[in-house]
Amino acid sequence: MNKRHKRSQLILGMVIALFLAFPFFSNFYWIDVAFFFGVYALLGLSLNIVLGETGLFDLGHAAFYAIGAYITAILNTLYGIPIVWLIPLSALCAGIFAYIVTSPIIHLRGDYLCIVTIGIGEIVRLALINNPFGLTGGPNGITGIGRPSFGLFAIDTSIRFYFYVWIILAIVILGLVRLQRSRIGRAWNYLREDEIAAEMSGIDVRHFKLLSFVLGAALAGVAGNIYASKLMIVSPDTFTFMESSMLFCIVMLGGLGSIPGSILGAGIITVFPEIFRVVANYRMLFFGGALVLAMIFRPGGLWPRKREIAIPNVRSAEEAEEMIRPVAVDQTRTTAKQSLNGETSSFEKHILVTDKLTMKFGGLVAVKDLDLVVGHGKITSIIGPNGAGKTTVFNVVTGIYKPVSGKVYFEGKDITGFKPHKVASLGIARTFQNIRLFPGLTCVENIMAGLHHRMSSYVFSSIMRTESQILEEKWAIETAMYWLDKTGLAGLSDELAKNLPYGKQKLLELARALSSSPKLLILDEPSSGLNDKETEDLMIFLENLLDEMDLSILLIEHDMNLVMGISHWVVAMDMGIKIAEGRPQDIYNNSRVIEAYLGREE
Amino acid sequence: MSIILEQLLNGLTIGSFYALIALGYSMVYGVMKLINFAHGDLFALGSYLGYTLLVWSAGAVSQRFGLWGGMAAALLFAFFAVGCVGVLMERVAYRPVQKSGRLPLVVSALGVSIFLENLIMAVWGPRYQAYPASVVPTYTISLGWFHITSMQLFILILSFVLMLILYYVVQKTTFGAAIRATALDKEMATMLGIDVGKITLFIFFLGPALGGMAGVMNGMYYRQISFVMGWNYGLKAFTATILGGIGNIPAAMLGGLLLGLVEMFGAAYISSAWKDVFTFLILILILIFRPTGLIGEKVAEKV
Repeated sequence: MNKRHKRSQLILGMVIALFLAFPFFSNFYWIDVAFFFGVYALLGLSLNIVLGETGLFDLGHAAFYAIGAYITAILNTLYGIPIVWLIPLSALCAGIFAYIVTSPIIHLRGDYLCIVTIGIGEIVRLALINNPFGLTGGPNGITGIGRPSFGLFAIDTSIRFYFYVWIILAIVILGLVRLQRSRIGRAWNYLREDEIAAEMSGIDVRHFKLLSFVLGAALAGVAGNIYASKLMIVSPDTFTFMESSMLFCIVMLGGLGSIPGSILGAGIITVFPEIFRVVANYRMLFFGGALVLAMIFRPGGLWPRKREIAIPNVRSAEEAEEMIRPVAVDQTRTTAKQSLNGETSSFEKHILVTDKLTMKFGGLVAVKDLDLVVGHGKITSIIGPNGAGKTTVFNVVTGIYKPVSGKVYFEGKDITGFKPHKVASLGIARTFQNIRLFPGLTCVENIMAGLHHRMSSYVFSSIMRTESQILEEKWAIETAMYWLDKTGLAGLSDELAKNLPYGKQKLLELARALSSSPKLLILDEPSSGLNDKETEDLMIFLENLLDEMDLSILLIEHDMNLVMGISHWVVAMDMGIKIAEGRPQDIYNNSRVIEAYLGREE
Repeated sequence: MSIILEQLLNGLTIGSFYALIALGYSMVYGVMKLINFAHGDLFALGSYLGYTLLVWSAGAVSQRFGLWGGMAAALLFAFFAVGCVGVLMERVAYRPVQKSGRLPLVVSALGVSIFLENLIMAVWGPRYQAYPASVVPTYTISLGWFHITSMQLFILILSFVLMLILYYVVQKTTFGAAIRATALDKEMATMLGIDVGKITLFIFFLGPALGGMAGVMNGMYYRQISFVMGWNYGLKAFTATILGGIGNIPAAMLGGLLLGLVEMFGAAYISSAWKDVFTFLILILILIFRPTGLIGEKVAEKV
């Protein structure tokens, strides 16, 4: 580990030395190429935030680049504001613009988002051509933009521009690396890997998607500023769909979410055409072919991100437990007390209550007038044949669907129609019928998703690595390691979730749900796909949890041994309605339940 | 009155180009869930191939088969040639990438688009080319105050016939049902014994072939063609696809015609400089308020 660390430091040092020495044994032509390499690296990194980290298909990124360049051009030529001051202003304007235009479309997924961003890119370009209010200079653009200067030191030669862009880039890279390994970067990755699982783990989907667009756009705005001051002219034909596609290719060539990858991609895009200058007319032809070949042979990119988490000197499980338990239990106790003191003391025994809950899909009534009560500190099971509406109940309770009518009360509080991330942060965690993990992330990162809403560090503290952020990260990693051990996955911390066998994936999902120290744990068929031994272990595990934590459990299950073995209360559903409820043995002998499963005896 | 009618005809003519291109987008999206960014360039390729047949043969084709015969030859040539390029494209650039997921497929499509555009430029040169007036009919049919050029009439009839045939095949035949089933659920279709490979082959032939044919019609109508035009038409046609509802074949036709009309009337009565902005605004508004398009069906994700 240490040896590897030293080696990578050595390589980094050599690369930096090469960059410093480069302009002194090269000519102006190649120094300019290196300058544009830097600009495209900035742009690639800015799109990498949106496309790479968060997985949002943005094929109109040139629009944000254009906003930065034009803000710089207009304010500098009209009001003589110095270029350097305009760097933060370009970033701010591009960020605000991104916020305004992506707010109404942020809920769109995949291809739809891709199409809308193409539309935004085109609208911006066409608007620039049409010269609104005489500001943008029409198809010819704006000329006579000034040079950046720091006091008397003006950036006016190729060599100075070269250092200017690469120094800015170095600062940006440092910030991005820190952001990538923080609560923010992980939240983005969760969204990319599985949006619903992320939302159910307490991540505010809308917020973090917008944040990613705003930061990506701001960075593209900075690149626009640098570009405008180097060329001293901006015109609409720089900011075409082709430009946006190139940025898209930079990120994909390098590898999604990989910082060195995006830089490498930018290098390929800028240097490739220069090397093939001899075959001027055919170079883009080759380039198109090369893109196809790259995707055939390296679909994951040329330099994909390696995922690993620096694990702080690992403690034993007991030690970690001591550190973590008080926090978790304290939190739950106080809230439980608060609700006790409230006017809804009748809910004291019931953590979750639904009142005449009804859910329809088109004409199909999936759940009808369901009254469900989950006892505090108890295990409640919902049973019923396939299609009875069990999972729909879970989806309504956790906020994935909004009920047609009826109410959901959690700890006496009306949570009907709350967004999933809000529900999660109130203390409801769940697992899914078909496992929903973050396949491309490590086990520890998967579990840390559950801790997201209990952490508070944000962009600034993550980039500055403040004391509290470092402590919080340490706490999160240790808590995640604790749950990894607890669920019997010790030693798999750096393994990618997709590489785990089925049974272990189920455990990992359980660990993720538990790490959020929920008050109510909702399990959708926890034993499906497990063998008898594993099911028995699971039963013991769940029962122990109830003893250790202030926890209630609601589960859907088909395995009657499990249901009858651990449930305190069983609810039977058929065709969307509750047909019976009671203690396990009563339900076991209930004629209506038997009928629902086996049909009526003639 | 006659001006409105003229706008209507112009709109329908452009709309039928969009509709023919949109069909290719929609069909490919149906079977592969891919926005085929290279599709616009296939349209441009068709335009150039038709041009080549008519012009490079020094008018020999037109002289031998007559004006209409020459046009038919150019249309058929573009249809088959571009169709074959489409099949080749799927084999070489899409099939090997498909298993790696959606994003690499998008990049591969962008790669093919860049490749085709630059191939056209390398072969035919970067300047505009023009279909000479001698290879297309130029007379106008007049009925009182109503005028229509023979070219317009030809384009409208041909594209409507093509669309009707396609509509019939897709909606009324067993083969069409297989296509629709594949678009809905590829795996299930495979299990039901539908030869998905054959369907893919058919789609990747027919989609580009129709686009190529539209390219020739476009060349005959406007006369001027350029290697970069694929992108512009591609994007418009794609908007049309979304407007109607992607993956749905009648919807693509409707979307294309509608977009042509919107553009014409937008340019005539609002502003011609901002007409493309309106097009994209419509696109965005549709996606916000009715992401399934005008006659698409809602697809819910299973949790």
